[in-house]
Amino acid sequence: MLDIRRISTRRWWHKKKSWFFFAIFLFLVFVRISKGSFYKDFYYLISKPFWPGQFQKEVIQKSIDQESLIKLNLLKKDNKRLREILSLRESSNNDEISAAVISRKTGSWWRQIILNKGSKDGVQIGSTVVGPGGLLGRVNNTSFFTSSVTLITSPESKLGVWVDRIQINGLLVGLGDDYPSLILYSKDADIKVGDFISSSPASTLLPPNIPIGIIQSIDEPFKSKKTAKISLLAKPHAIDWVQILKLNIQ
Amino acid sequence: MNKFFIKNSHIISFIFIPVIFLWHPNWLGFLGVQPYWPLFWLLPWSMIYGSINGFIIGLFLGLILDSLTLDSNFSQIPGLILCGIVFGRIKFHSDILVGHFRYGLICSFGSFLCGTLYFLQIFFKNFIDSNFLLVIPSLHNILAEVFLTGFFAPFFCSQLLRLFKFSRKKLQSQI
Repeated sequence: MLDIRRISTRRWWHKKKSWFFFAIFLFLVFVRISKGSFYKDFYYLISKPFWPGQFQKEVIQKSIDQESLIKLNLLKKDNKRLREILSLRESSNNDEISAAVISRKTGSWWRQIILNKGSKDGVQIGSTVVGPGGLLGRVNNTSFFTSSVTLITSPESKLGVWVDRIQINGLLVGLGDDYPSLILYSKDADIKVGDFISSSPASTLLPPNIPIGIIQSIDEPFKSKKTAKISLLAKPHAIDWVQILKLNIQ
Repeated sequence: MNKFFIKNSHIISFIFIPVIFLWHPNWLGFLGVQPYWPLFWLLPWSMIYGSINGFIIGLFLGLILDSLTLDSNFSQIPGLILCGIVFGRIKFHSDILVGHFRYGLICSFGSFLCGTLYFLQIFFKNFIDSNFLLVIPSLHNILAEVFLTGFFAPFFCSQLLRLFKFSRKKLQSQI
């Protein structure tokens, strides 16, 4: 007869306590792997009622706005004084006419828009037209009720512009596509992709510092000229409302 | 009222050319380019009334359309005059279906002619500045315009041709 030895059924895995500690261990491993994200999220939830209130945020924002406004006014005054000294052209925000685009030719050969404000509303030939984003073009022709604007993408358009980063003047020439060309008459001009272009402070045609676009690509220098393609900030094919800036020729 | 419209259908449709030219509906465009609308009117007119009338109406159309665009240095007149003369020499085709497709081809050719003449004006004006960057957008414009004009021509030209023929018959029967 075989002597059957009684084997104990109580092993460690039969103990609830062991499983409890194993679960804690697994949880701690999870916390370690997740780099404490669980704790951070938990802290986020429980600390939410004690965050700095909306009121405090508003107070700070108001102070920042006031500070910016004071600084802006000081800079405006300074700018006006300097421009008077240099006898440069000036723009006034009080002389803006809002107009809707009633006809748009932004593809093909002709790059122009027609606005619903004309000589009746005081629009003059040569006025600058800006839209959301920046410069769109200049008024080339007015009728009693409408005004036609030559876009800066038109081959007829040639404007003086300013490359802010390297403080240099250039010429913006429309090519008949959506990307006008910036011509710098210096082979060594250190322009880079992403440089910001605005209207030239020395321009006699446009008010100063109107945003125009960003350099998208730079071509190889050719005959002491450097050219670059500009991506415009204001998109004439999408804009429905524009502002016509009346200019005071000094 | 109806008689008035039938009698003056070509004048009324002529008035609408600059309107459509200005309207420039984007949803009809291809790569931002529109079909060359005046050719849709000029082709049936010239086919019915001949080369000399085509020449005159091409000149008129060019004058109107030039006044709507701001490019004072370039003109659409040479292209439209040439198209008016060429279209006036084209005879009607007996097969309606072939005739339809023919309108597409003829208008494509006309659009190519007008586009090329316009491009040459821009090119020669900017030749001194050595601004050859204009060439690529111009080629894009010509090709897109040729495609679109050819695509839409059978729809517009056949309808206008029928209208002009009908009004002419009416006028002749009254005389």
